[in-house]
Amino acid sequence: MLIYFLNSILFVLGLYCLIAKKHLVKKIIGMTIMEYAINLFIILLGYKKNGIPPILLENMDVNTFVQQSVDPLPQALVLTSIVIGLSTLAMMVAISLRLYEKYKTFDMSEIRRLHG
Amino acid sequence: MEGMTFIVKTITRLLIGAIFLFAIYITFYGHLTPGGGFAGGIMVACGFILLTLAFGKKMSLGKLSDFWASLLDNLGAFTFWSIGMLGYIAGYYFMNFIEKSNPFGLFSAGTILASNIAICIKVGSSIFAVFMALTIFGRFISDLIAAEDED
Repeated sequence: MLIYFLNSILFVLGLYCLIAKKHLVKKIIGMTIMEYAINLFIILLGYKKNGIPPILLENMDVNTFVQQSVDPLPQALVLTSIVIGLSTLAMMVAISLRLYEKYKTFDMSEIRRLHG
Repeated sequence: MEGMTFIVKTITRLLIGAIFLFAIYITFYGHLTPGGGFAGGIMVACGFILLTLAFGKKMSLGKLSDFWASLLDNLGAFTFWSIGMLGYIAGYYFMNFIEKSNPFGLFSAGTILASNIAICIKVGSSIFAVFMALTIFGRFISDLIAAEDED
């Protein structure tokens, strides 16, 4: 249970960065920290005590492999999630570059009106 | 964008072949070891980014221009879809119709090898195109650099 509590501390740190900082790039970094925390939580759901990696070697019995290995299905799903996080990061950086061109600043408290 | 110092250029010249070879190895053995198409594609894109940073944009655009990056992107996605449609020969959609023999070998997983190669081509060219669009082809960045030079 302790590991899930530490993971939620990581998520809350990312949320604090997203809310309480004014610089736009710091908000983007906070959002990526939140994505790391969620991916780590999904992988932690498949952990088994004294587990081996889910790779079948040459001379290994199939029964011991099934009983002892870590669950590989969450790892496959998290791979898709990492790709989605990469695309949203590219989109966020492109939008922040465009905002800098229009408003000449990265400070969120000065970006108030819609510019043409 | 010009290149970097002489030390960086020499080390890049020595290492760039090993980076691409390692990316191809991770892609081809994706059904046996961790990795696969996506990880190999990211390594190919990082190799091209290293080439851009060390030698300048003319060199890397000469190797993989924006026209070819877009074309390879679409070709990779089309190949992946056609592998799925070829599954209709033997049964259902995305069926693994090649026979699986010789466990722990290179050709032992059927259509997974072809899917990995298609994903590697697609992801490598796509991530490099995103990098190019954000740093070199961006109209606003070049305008800002020109505006700073005027002062």
